Amino acid sequence: MSKLLLVDDDAELSSMLEQILTKEGFQLTLAADGETGLERALSGSYDLILLDVMLPGIDGFQLLQRLRQQGRNTPVIMLTARGDDEDRVAGLELGADDYLPKPFYPKELVARVKALLRRSPNTSVRPEKSEYAGFVVDPSQNEARCDETRLELTPTEFDILRTLVRAGGEVVSKDALSVAALGRSLAPFDRSLDVHISNIRKKLPNEPERIQTVRGRGYRIVQFS
Amino acid sequence: MRWYHSLSLRLLLLFWILLFAVASSGYLLALWFSKPIAPEPVPATVQSSLAPILSDVTTFRSLTPGRLVAGDYRVAASLAPSGPERLQLDRTLSAAHRRMLMQQLEADEPQQVPLGNRMLLGPFRLEGYRILVTRPITVDEREQQVISEQQTQRVQTLALLVGSLAIAILLGAWLVMPLRRLTHATREIARGSEQPDLRRLPRRNDELGELARALASTAHDLAVSRDAQRRLLSDVSHELRSPLARMQVALMLSQDEADSPERGGHMAQLGRDLERLSTIIERILSLSRLENGLVKLQTEPVDVRKLVGQLVKDLTYVDAKHGERLQVRESDDWPVLESDPELLRLVLENLVRNALQYTDDAVEISCEATASDYTMIIRDHGPGVPAEHLAQLFTPFYRADPSRNHKAGVGLGMALSLRAAAVLGGTVNARNHPEGGLEIQVVIPAQAT
Repeated sequence: MSKLLLVDDDAELSSMLEQILTKEGFQLTLAADGETGLERALSGSYDLILLDVMLPGIDGFQLLQRLRQQGRNTPVIMLTARGDDEDRVAGLELGADDYLPKPFYPKELVARVKALLRRSPNTSVRPEKSEYAGFVVDPSQNEARCDETRLELTPTEFDILRTLVRAGGEVVSKDALSVAALGRSLAPFDRSLDVHISNIRKKLPNEPERIQTVRGRGYRIVQFS
Repeated sequence: MRWYHSLSLRLLLLFWILLFAVASSGYLLALWFSKPIAPEPVPATVQSSLAPILSDVTTFRSLTPGRLVAGDYRVAASLAPSGPERLQLDRTLSAAHRRMLMQQLEADEPQQVPLGNRMLLGPFRLEGYRILVTRPITVDEREQQVISEQQTQRVQTLALLVGSLAIAILLGAWLVMPLRRLTHATREIARGSEQPDLRRLPRRNDELGELARALASTAHDLAVSRDAQRRLLSDVSHELRSPLARMQVALMLSQDEADSPERGGHMAQLGRDLERLSTIIERILSLSRLENGLVKLQTEPVDVRKLVGQLVKDLTYVDAKHGERLQVRESDDWPVLESDPELLRLVLENLVRNALQYTDDAVEISCEATASDYTMIIRDHGPGVPAEHLAQLFTPFYRADPSRNHKAGVGLGMALSLRAAAVLGGTVNARNHPEGGLEIQVVIPAQAT
């Protein structure tokens, strides 16, 4: 049974989501403010965290930042009621795996949670090691290297890189990458994949453009000489 | 700005000085370049034709300016070694010409120089006496003079053109550079810059400096209001989406559990959120109408004590406990005001509701009158608000106590009261009462402005 942590100050919404997610077979823990949320996220071992942005005390962004700084790569879905795109993407840039703007259909939330849990490395289908153009991705060791430098990737970033490396220089469409890494197709105007790619590039030791954008088609890894 | 910083005065002075500089430089250049006709030795033929007259001392002495010597030759000046009238000059000549005569008298050899429309010859000497004579100039000589004058004019024009062009370029740059910078800065502001690049312009003391400073402060104000707008939009979005999110979840739950006893709870949740949503929307619209001056004042004499009495009655009807908690202080200060009863009630009702909502004890309503205004005071006996947050109370969606987030009001009441009071010409202030509790003062001027 997967363990989830829901950090949201909206008690009514939390209790209703608890009913829904419990019925879906998840074990849910609630936290109503940032401090409690961070404490629980750091102390317990959760398979996934649902994180609201506007929280009393430290807000969702700060919580996520501290969580990642502590080296915790627990998958995180941001729930945000603020409208602007910047706000949505901001969470991804800080290392969230996915976001869901409020209001959302509860079924959509359940689907996203399941998708993220399904693709996480422990349950991956083909755990063999793959190599291409200086990249080595080893799902069994949960380890990714670029030119012998170990990359600190979140599970989502790990899956994106693994898919690209396995394609061996072929272009992988954005949709395929999204399905592989986030377990879902891309919605229109969804920039989450681009943000994840940009996060991976920032973590490469050199030549971020070796993960190449092929306009209108997707991404691929190019040989770097 | 002091008078001597005025740009118009500076421009006046500048143009004056520049015009003067151009004119005088043109004149000086013309003098420099124009070639005055150099003195030539007197031709031998003239010397010999004059020789008979000029060799006799008696005749020579008697030659005074004005006298004809021979033919067209007329005496222009004479200089004797001594005597009462040692130097005699032709009085019909101009001062400039007379100066030339003096100069010519000192020459070593007899020379001929043009002098207006005559030719000056001399000096001729005999025993310490010297004379200068003139004759009308010939056609050839006249022609040469005209050519020379034309040359002078041409040089003068050229010098003026070049000089004024150089100065015009300098002046243009001096005037246009700051204007260009201002235009550039304005474009930057239009693109959303908070601090446009104005270089040293704001430090100027003149009108352009003033304009630059005004522009800089406008840019700052714009950025502040844009930030406020963005924050408000973000808050509005949050406030509207939160109940919507709950409604969506509650709706699904109530559909899934059509027969369960929990269904009633979800329906109640739906109802609460629906009500909340409509309240928020209605308040946001009111706030927007008030802020944009779309509310028309409909004034009439308002008995404020009566209005407060009606308010207490209405609130008691909603909840009997309110009636027990609300205490109206009777006094003679309660006025009858020329005001808009709807707006005045909006101001007071929001504040009273807030006090009832955020505290549990009595809420006192009183009124104090001064010569110029009336102050209605709403005081509660709650914990008050930290001094640093008092000003924020009037910010839309600000809540002093976030833990009450979803139970208390929607966070627009205070902002609405403040805007409505402003429309009535008054203000709303908040302070912590020295004996505890929050005190809100609504100040309405006695004379409607």
